[in-house]
Amino acid sequence: MTPGGSEIARERIRRLHDLAREAAGDGNDERAREYVRRARRVAERNRLGLPRRFKRFTCDACDAYLRPSVNARVRLRDGHVVVTCDCGTQARYPYE
Amino acid sequence: MMPLTPETLPRHELAGLDVEVVAAANPDAIGIAGTVVTETTKTLGVEGTDRVWHVPKDAATFRFDLPAEGDSESQSVRVRGSNLVARPARRTEATGDSKWR
Repeated sequence: MTPGGSEIARERIRRLHDLAREAAGDGNDERAREYVRRARRVAERNRLGLPRRFKRFTCDACDAYLRPSVNARVRLRDGHVVVTCDCGTQARYPYE
Repeated sequence: MMPLTPETLPRHELAGLDVEVVAAANPDAIGIAGTVVTETTKTLGVEGTDRVWHVPKDAATFRFDLPAEGDSESQSVRVRGSNLVARPARRTEATGDSKWR
């Protein structure tokens, strides 16, 4: 491993997140999915976590970049948020 | 932070950068310009005005435009495509910027 390697990986994940959001905004859902998958792969290979915002806005099952009300439903329940992807997968996140 | 610089480019994310093919084994590929949108082990997908070109990396030389960021000015970098031949997610790990040869 070259010094600074994981710093590049971190920056790369950040860029891929931005690219995925942009592609999803333009309606290029498959392209966004590709960026999400690659960001996950980069994180995995470099043993890095993913930013919280990335985790909240991507689907664990189908890797889609989630846009609330477009391809994801967001509902509040007691103590948690439920985000439902168009593929049917639900993710729950706590709130205070 | 280790931002996108000419030195780190072969190990960094190429998608989203503006690129032009400056040399290639296939004469028709020379001059293709646009934004990198996809990448496979052996090709770069360059989106031009009306289509996406899949350019073989191995047989081409690319010129990437790095956008101005913070206090650095925008600059362009020529990269031999053979330095980029690797699975997209694996380029970060080592290959591409070896100082040997």
